[in-house]
Amino acid sequence: MSFAQDSQNSALGSVQANKLGGARKVVEPGQNAAKRLQTELMQLMTSPAPGVSAFPSADGNLLSWRATIEGPDDTPYSGLTFKLSFEFPANYPYAPPTVLFQTPIYHPNVDFSGRICLDILKDKWTPAYNIQTVLLSLQSLLGEPNNASPLNGEAAELWDKDPTLFKTKVMDRHKDVEDE
Amino acid sequence: MPAAVASQWRDRQRRVFQSVFQTDVAQPTPQSTPTSSGLGQQSQEHPFLRRTAPEPPHQTTAQPLFPSLAPPPADHQATYDRAWNLVTAHIALPSSATADDSFGTLAAESHHHYHQSSSSGGRDVGSGDFYDAFALLANAGSLLPRATRTDDILAWHVRQVRAHFSQHVIPLLAGCVDDHHHRAVEDDESESDHDEEQGHARWRVGRKKGNYYERHMVIVMSSIRTLEAALRLYFYGLNQLLSGFARLADVSPEAAKDAELLNARFRRDLHALVSNSTSEGLVRSVKAVLVRLAGTILGIPSPEEPGVGRGQTRPAPPGPDDLQVQAARERLVELVQQLHNVGLAGERFQVLFAEVMDAMMSAFVTGAYAGVWSPPDTRSFSATIDTISRGASLSVASPCIMSLNDWVENHFARLSFEVLACISTNPQGPLPVSLADLKTYQSLALGRLAALRTRELFDIVLAWPASRPALDDLRATITTAARRKQLTDSFSRALQTRLLHPGCSTLEILQTYISIIRTLHALDPSKVLLSHVEPGLQLYLCQREDSVRVVVTGLLASPEEMRAARKVKEVWKRQKEKKPRQDEASRSSKRRTRGDLGPFTTPTTTTTIPGPSIRTPRTRAARRRDSTPEEEEEEADQQTPDHTTTTNLVELALLLNDPSQQARHRTADDAADLLDWDDMSWLPDPIDAGANYKRPRSEDVIGTLISALGSGDVFIKEFAAVVAGRLLLASSSSSGESAGGRFEQELRVLDLLKRRFGEAALQDCDVMIRDVQDSRRVDAAIRRGKGAGNKRPRAVVVVPETPGPSVGEGEGGEMEYRAKILSRLFWPGLEREHFLLPEAVVEQQRRYEEGYERLKAHRKLTWLNQLGQARVELELSDRTVTVDCSTAEATVVYAFQRGDGDDDDDDNAPPVQKSADELYELLQMDEDLIAAALQFWVGKGVLRRVAGGTNSYVVAETLNDETTAAAAAAAAAAAADTASAAVDQPMEEEEEPEPASGANAGLSAKERERRDMYWRYIQGMLTNARASMPLAQMAMMMKMLIADGFPWSNEELQDFLGEKVGEGEMEVVGGKYKLVKK
Repeated sequence: MSFAQDSQNSALGSVQANKLGGARKVVEPGQNAAKRLQTELMQLMTSPAPGVSAFPSADGNLLSWRATIEGPDDTPYSGLTFKLSFEFPANYPYAPPTVLFQTPIYHPNVDFSGRICLDILKDKWTPAYNIQTVLLSLQSLLGEPNNASPLNGEAAELWDKDPTLFKTKVMDRHKDVEDE
Repeated sequence: MPAAVASQWRDRQRRVFQSVFQTDVAQPTPQSTPTSSGLGQQSQEHPFLRRTAPEPPHQTTAQPLFPSLAPPPADHQATYDRAWNLVTAHIALPSSATADDSFGTLAAESHHHYHQSSSSGGRDVGSGDFYDAFALLANAGSLLPRATRTDDILAWHVRQVRAHFSQHVIPLLAGCVDDHHHRAVEDDESESDHDEEQGHARWRVGRKKGNYYERHMVIVMSSIRTLEAALRLYFYGLNQLLSGFARLADVSPEAAKDAELLNARFRRDLHALVSNSTSEGLVRSVKAVLVRLAGTILGIPSPEEPGVGRGQTRPAPPGPDDLQVQAARERLVELVQQLHNVGLAGERFQVLFAEVMDAMMSAFVTGAYAGVWSPPDTRSFSATIDTISRGASLSVASPCIMSLNDWVENHFARLSFEVLACISTNPQGPLPVSLADLKTYQSLALGRLAALRTRELFDIVLAWPASRPALDDLRATITTAARRKQLTDSFSRALQTRLLHPGCSTLEILQTYISIIRTLHALDPSKVLLSHVEPGLQLYLCQREDSVRVVVTGLLASPEEMRAARKVKEVWKRQKEKKPRQDEASRSSKRRTRGDLGPFTTPTTTTTIPGPSIRTPRTRAARRRDSTPEEEEEEADQQTPDHTTTTNLVELALLLNDPSQQARHRTADDAADLLDWDDMSWLPDPIDAGANYKRPRSEDVIGTLISALGSGDVFIKEFAAVVAGRLLLASSSSSGESAGGRFEQELRVLDLLKRRFGEAALQDCDVMIRDVQDSRRVDAAIRRGKGAGNKRPRAVVVVPETPGPSVGEGEGGEMEYRAKILSRLFWPGLEREHFLLPEAVVEQQRRYEEGYERLKAHRKLTWLNQLGQARVELELSDRTVTVDCSTAEATVVYAFQRGDGDDDDDDNAPPVQKSADELYELLQMDEDLIAAALQFWVGKGVLRRVAGGTNSYVVAETLNDETTAAAAAAAAAAAADTASAAVDQPMEEEEEPEPASGANAGLSAKERERRDMYWRYIQGMLTNARASMPLAQMAMMMKMLIADGFPWSNEELQDFLGEKVGEGEMEVVGGKYKLVKK
């Protein structure tokens, strides 16, 4: 339907949209996000993906999560586990969460304070992604770093040049964090 | 004669008092009272009184105590005194307090007395003397300047009158009240008895009632007559004085006074005296008389005369030429005139009258309109109702209101006018009842009506739609925000006490809710009233677990049920027409029929309606088998319409199919109503509308109901569950025909919900319906052994399906076997229940699986055994039983089949006997399921429990002789498996063998799954959120995070965690739980 051509129709359409929204009960944005996160949690629990898990933080704030990724086999991170933090904006899922590595990690796309360079957490984010897909993407990022846009230039270089040294650096850097 | 005794007693008291205090010593005047002898003859026994009476007490003390103080003007003074005595003697009041209640006597005596005194011998004072003396007194200042002790003769008269009134008239009044009062009081008492224990005391009351009004009337009349006589007496004296003044006017104008003025003042004083001394008893009597007369005039049957005919106890405006009314009217006017004349029509009377009229109005409104909702001309009225109900509402008055206004104007106001005109002090003043007053009366009456209807609102709701006209009353009267508030408050209270308690089933509540929605919408199209009432109701409904289910099943009610419900409605209507509600009794019985909503009455109360009766036990049976709508429906067909309505919220389905409702939905959807400038019936939003108020267009019962039940998610979930159940069962009967029809209903509801919640939310249901339709094709394809059919994207679950008792397709005498293929992710509640199926069925499953895998590579079937349906044909020694049952039940009964190893021909073998434990081992079925299935078969008369405490069951081969064991049936049953077509016992079951895990064996699959999920939550929590947590915090997190709620208590969680610790999954460190690192 072309809205431009038929203003009558478009008015009608918007009214319908309004009604629809009204029938669904307009909720606070934050509540919407919380609801969505609750659903996501349920999905994570009912159909967990291997090697990744996530849960809201212990302070009871649904907009703040902690997640765990196990380093994939056949990568320098094999056998290690990494903690991450997720901070969700109130308009989630319409904006991406802020994801940080809590565990120090030596990785081309992660800087020393844990910030991650991953497109789907930035401009490529769509509401169709969820926590699980983000975690799986991060897990695969561990095995296949994007060396074209590194945050850690040294790591990007070493990745190709000297896998052994890279592995050493990974092990040096890795340190299990106990939560507070 | 108690009255006589009393007043004699008073007299004696007075005498004693005076003899002690010597008041007559003060009798000083040189001449003794001239009339003393004359009076003495008449009333010998009151000598003291006689002597004191003519002398004002004040005078007696003032004059004689100091006679010597004024020697010089002695002659002036003496002359004055003599004149004074002359005059006072002339107008002295008689002391005829002879205490008998002959009211005429006072007047007669006084006349007699005056007559006598004016004509009797030389000692009497002639009128000439009187006037001379009077002139002296009146002009004492100028004629007798040295008489220092002078007094105002008028004031003296007033004092004398006062004294006389209090000494004689009041006792007389009290006497005549007393005299009749005892009986009147008795009547009052018996009347209150009558109120409390109606009917019981009626005969007694009835006997006395006739006199009740008369007695009070006698009291009033005798009081009036007494007063009249007394007043006549008093005015006689006054007139004497006045005529003295009048004569004087010629001689010395300055001494003359305005007779008119004096008269009026005297009268005023006297009236004040009278009205201030009116006794309670008299007031009560006046009130009783007023009530009766006004009641008659206004057409309100008085409660005092129940005998007048029960038939017309409702107040109704009397006809214009009702003789009784005219008589009463004349009587009342006359009475009021008399009261006015004797001074009883003062402020007190007016207050009394106002009270009476107020009570009359209330009585009329409640009496005439309580429970009367339909005007006599219902037909024509309801024809116009739809046009009325919107917009024009305020200008068109309902019949009740019109008749009430008419009554107020032509009867109530008229009566007020007449009465007030009688007692009006100023006839030239403004009319006692102006047009504005009339309007006030009318609005008062409407207020009463509003209050009445407000109280009745709950009943109005119950009687909807017959009560429609009552709503018009309400709509016209509920005009202010305060009244609206009152309405919603009182209605909410009524809801709490009459509806929202455990005695009402959810179904009844919902039915009432529908009525409420429709009623209040009709009352207030803006729905604001509804929104004020709803919260409590919604809150309560949310507590009822089954409310969503009731609504959903109601929406999905089958056409048969709808037809039945319609039939009931017609029956209802007919009955209503037949006997319009007459009294409370029949009303309450009707209410009961509708699903009894009285407080704490059980809903199973049967009806008094002569129509088809509710068969309670069957109701229960049907409810218990909720899971088998198939069967319920069959039952519904045989059952009475009443029954159907009580089990299902068919109203919703009716509404859903109601074209007018549909039409309204559509208009509501397209409505851009705020922009509709041409809407001539536009009204501003109600004053009590909330901030986010949005004007709704239609009553939209279904929508309101759905939104009332909390979030759409809950509703959709429940809907999916119900639809799932129906789909699974529906097509089992679908060896062809009816399935299509049923889906229509489901699809229609689905469409409705889609419009409300959006397509996406109901995707699951779409998939489910498609699954069922697809499975039919796949099923057929597999049977034919051909590869065909469409792609199915998900893991798939198969539900076995009932075969007909067919001998059939392809495989000879084998059972027919069908499966439904469900997409696992989209179907709610698909837990697997483990048990072992009969061999033959397992074989069928295997073959089916092969066929399916041929059809669709890479898909795996998971059998959900417990969801299926089976038709079982059992051949017992004396009968053949064919039963549609669940697969679990079929499996259990199959276990009682004689094994293949047995000799089929051995008729003498004992019937098969099995204990529940044996069955448990044999079938690996959940014990509860086994127990339920055994119970089912016992109920069907197929199995019998073995006496003697063991939990064993035996096949009941014969119905009559339970002890005889007949082996034939078992043998026959055994034959079912063989290929022989003669005994065909098809059973379908699916199952996927899965070892029962020991610890959890007692738990249902659902419970197990739930525990698994909680465990995953706990793992996730301890992995991510914090490595170790105390119990309480875990419980709190679980409660907060699990969308469906976390029903466990802390103790249950602790037990669960304890198990995990026992299994080595967790450990407790410092009071905190943590996962064991592996």
